[in-house]
Amino acid sequence: MRRLLSALCFFLAATVAGAEEAPGAGLDHAALRERSLAVLERQFGAFRDRTAELAAAAESHCDAGASRADVERAFRAAWLAWAPLDSYQFGPVERSAAALSVNFWPDKKNFVGRGLRALMAQPEDAQRLAGTVAEGSAAAQGFPALERLLYGDLPECPAIVGISAHLAMRADALYEDWFAADGWADVARAAGPENPVYLSQQEFTKTLFTALDFGLFRVSDQRLARPLGTWDRSFPTRAEAWRAGMTGDLIAAQLDGIALLLDEGFGPEIDDADRAHALQTIARAEELIERIGMPVDAAVKDPQPRLRVEAVQTAVRQLRAQLAEVIGPSLDVDTGFSPADGD
Amino acid sequence: MATDLNRRGFLAAGSAALAGIATRGWAAASGPFFVSAANDDTYRTFLLGLTAQGEELFRIPVPTRGHAATVHPHRAELVAFARRPGRYAMVIDASDGRVAATLPAHEGRHFYGHGAFTADGVYLLTTENDYDAPAGRIGVWDASDGYRRVDELPSGGIGPHEILRLGDGFVVANGGIQTHPAFERAKLNLPEMRPNLTYLHPDGRLDEIVEPPAGMRQNSIRHVAVTQAGDVAVAMQWFGNPLKPTPLVAMHHRGETLRYLDHPAMGRMMHFADSLALSGNGSEIGVTGPRGDHVLFFDAATGAPKGSADLELASGIAPFGSGLVISRAGGLSVGGSAGLAPAPVGADLVFDNHLVAVAPQA
Repeated sequence: MRRLLSALCFFLAATVAGAEEAPGAGLDHAALRERSLAVLERQFGAFRDRTAELAAAAESHCDAGASRADVERAFRAAWLAWAPLDSYQFGPVERSAAALSVNFWPDKKNFVGRGLRALMAQPEDAQRLAGTVAEGSAAAQGFPALERLLYGDLPECPAIVGISAHLAMRADALYEDWFAADGWADVARAAGPENPVYLSQQEFTKTLFTALDFGLFRVSDQRLARPLGTWDRSFPTRAEAWRAGMTGDLIAAQLDGIALLLDEGFGPEIDDADRAHALQTIARAEELIERIGMPVDAAVKDPQPRLRVEAVQTAVRQLRAQLAEVIGPSLDVDTGFSPADGD
Repeated sequence: MATDLNRRGFLAAGSAALAGIATRGWAAASGPFFVSAANDDTYRTFLLGLTAQGEELFRIPVPTRGHAATVHPHRAELVAFARRPGRYAMVIDASDGRVAATLPAHEGRHFYGHGAFTADGVYLLTTENDYDAPAGRIGVWDASDGYRRVDELPSGGIGPHEILRLGDGFVVANGGIQTHPAFERAKLNLPEMRPNLTYLHPDGRLDEIVEPPAGMRQNSIRHVAVTQAGDVAVAMQWFGNPLKPTPLVAMHHRGETLRYLDHPAMGRMMHFADSLALSGNGSEIGVTGPRGDHVLFFDAATGAPKGSADLELASGIAPFGSGLVISRAGGLSVGGSAGLAPAPVGADLVFDNHLVAVAPQA
């Protein structure tokens, strides 16, 4: 802890110097960053804790005969804890290639099935080891693989022990990479002209803002659009987590995460009325999910419930538009195009 | 080499082998001009034609942000590409600026933003992502038959980006980074990425694959330029430890390993070397750094550093006269290591990463 504090002091000193380059606008990027990091720390911390509980539940079930229902409960809680983190495809998530390892989806070519087959061809003693899982396919390391084992025809033990142990290790590493001394949070705190990642305070604000937009894109254009397909042809089994019946809950959890970052992280740096409007839109979307009244994969092929799924998508797309047209410009984050974006 | 002298023709500048073919070219252009994707302050996206003096020749609206373009070797035609994950390529009749055809991305593929014609101009080769595989692909389109898609080839790696004709064959920069449109532009395999430089035979078969050493595998090989000696200069983007100083430019001679180049101003590039070009007289290579607002120069024969310059949002670069022309915030700059002269562009535009030289001959 002492190391973390001294690192903080060093970086916060750098921050003060950097703040001078952002005159006007009245925006406090440093305050926004600190509040947002507190939100992320809670979210990454919850993911670490829930996956540790899942690993323990899997071991108790396979080795000590504890109930399967306990594993399913822990599995659902851990996947829901990941949902808000899906929006943060930068920093440690990107640098450790966690996105596919934790949640290999979409999976048009059945890499999850193939990865599991390879894992289950190993001796049982090996299947239960995180190291075996680490050496195998990324598609057999995350929630979709566990879902197949828990909600499909395959025997869940002992593979769920190895997979959930590996997942818990990844979750712990993600938390450490973000929040240990000199982790990504400190990189963000040290934003400035000499920073190899964030050349200014605004750049980290922009990164967070882009994450909000990306999260909404994942909900509207992936998690909802893939099963919706077209009016003539829906694709129920393209819904994420359809086997576990978690499609709608994962979407709601991702939206909850976006609302939390908007409300507590961005907070007063967004105009009160704009923020309230955005939060109302999210609340409406979550209410609409509630009203679907059946799993999303069943709803998309039935005309009446399908309309409710489409209404969720419309609400989320409206929020994306509000972010791009109103909130982004007010935050002094240039969401326009720059060659510095890469390629 | 087909040379239909009755047709108006455009040459890729610097293509000495083709110089001298009689062409008339774009009515508005009296000399070589340049094409860049650009965006205005309301985020509208265009393909823009510019003289080296910064004069705007044409502006073609495109549906989403553009990236690079390639010029037909002997027809008044160029093909502009959407930025990855690109859904379109646009064939432009260079005699009147008309959009002659729009090529949609092939099913299950997207464009990476670059392409090149075969030396005879019959086929267009495009770098593409087979994202569900995942695998890098080279799409083959028949330019003599309305750009019908006729074939697809392996690119030799993941994430093929720039492709250039090299003699009768090609060189492809396989960036090594796995992406999937479901994740927009997020990078999905940074710890495992394996970039390479791949040479293709004239018929498209893999010829030589050059891999960096283990410590350089997170240095994404993205753009290439060919020297007069036929060596390939490479510009890279570093995705490893952000605190580690890393060379971003290399030279490659066929049959050898990559030779990484030092430059005292390398750190100014902020780990991002963007596009690169050989000067008109072949003596130097310029490498742009839009993140670091800087340009590096190297001796094209030896690879020795040859100075550098501050240039805000330095992005596209192309040969012009004996030197280079570079797109940047506010317009163009012309010159080289000995000095750069500004050529402002009137409109409030942001240029994308590439400036493609088009050379109509009188």
